[in-house]
Amino acid sequence: MCNGRVRNTLITVFAALLAAPAWATEYVQSAGSSLVFAGTYQGEVFTGRFPGFETHLSFDPDHLDTSSLRVSIPLAAATTANSDYDGEMRGASFFNAARFPTAQYNATGFRKVGENRYATDGTLSLHGVSKPVTLQFTWTPGAHPVLAGKATVRRLDFGVGSGDWADTDLIPDDIAISTKVVLQPAQ
Amino acid sequence: MNWKNPVDRWGAVSQAFHWLIVVLIVVMAYLGLTMTDLPNSPHKISLYSLHKSIGLTILALVTLRLLWRALAGTPRVLDSIPHWQARVAAWTHWALYALLFAMPISGWVVNSAAGFPLQWFHLFNLPAIAHKDQALHALARSTHETLFWTLLAIVAVHAGAALMHHLVWHDATLARMLPRRWLRVRQPLQSPPMQDDRHVQRPRA
Repeated sequence: MCNGRVRNTLITVFAALLAAPAWATEYVQSAGSSLVFAGTYQGEVFTGRFPGFETHLSFDPDHLDTSSLRVSIPLAAATTANSDYDGEMRGASFFNAARFPTAQYNATGFRKVGENRYATDGTLSLHGVSKPVTLQFTWTPGAHPVLAGKATVRRLDFGVGSGDWADTDLIPDDIAISTKVVLQPAQ
Repeated sequence: MNWKNPVDRWGAVSQAFHWLIVVLIVVMAYLGLTMTDLPNSPHKISLYSLHKSIGLTILALVTLRLLWRALAGTPRVLDSIPHWQARVAAWTHWALYALLFAMPISGWVVNSAAGFPLQWFHLFNLPAIAHKDQALHALARSTHETLFWTLLAIVAVHAGAALMHHLVWHDATLARMLPRRWLRVRQPLQSPPMQDDRHVQRPRA
């Protein structure tokens, strides 16, 4: 029976096929990946990481406009390896992980900026706010290709560290994000 | 002005070290006793930063103070002071010096074991002197606190003795740690010159 629902589904599938051509390789994250952040605090660099983040990549160097990246970042496990910092960072003044447990980064369409180097203007959804964040990355092809990226997130754009914590003399606005994603073709 | 220490009193430099450290200890005690109970906030962090900066300052001052003491000497013990008192006084002085080192160093260990940065008045950073370690942090913290109460007890003995010397025994113990003429002492500072020598019959040459 060819009712409207089936027709709509076919249109959706067809549109999806156009949007994501079959030759783009789908990748998922493999072991050895990391997503870290860094800033300065009282004259020292602090670093932290987001354990349990997950990456899905649809990538074709010849069809960059349809390549896409999706990263899901659980915040309740974010850690600086300092329990005094972590409690505050996950709490209501910063990530508010109880209310916003996951941050999301979605990007479609990459630009080539050099040999194996790309950039994408994706959207970061963090702490209930969605704003553009540019990710620059290098691509190392292989059986387990590696995406090594950098971005700068302005924490105050996302209301991370509100009230008195907005003081950028104490914690700067710019937080550096660095990631190394080891990928494998999705099954 | 004699910068070094004359035999009968403490010189200006030693006095400056003494009273500056007194003032800083009072500020440190107030900060240390009030800051820990505050809810976490940038205000709390700034009080901790101030506490750490002043603590490091005291560590530097007490080092300079002892070097200066070695260079400039110490005034003679007053003749009126019994031997046992002089010994107790010397013991408390060295205990105070030791605590003035132990307090900041134990605080530095607390900070290091917690993995916090250490910055001196936003100007420069100092390295950790211990590894980040929760058990060490707890131990250093309780040590820091015990040392504080010990310091307070010895300061009470020291200041109480100084007041006794001044108010009860009327000697120059306290006056000679202050600028000249700030405190009136009934008894002269050193072996008294004869006040009534005009009545003494001197043999005529």
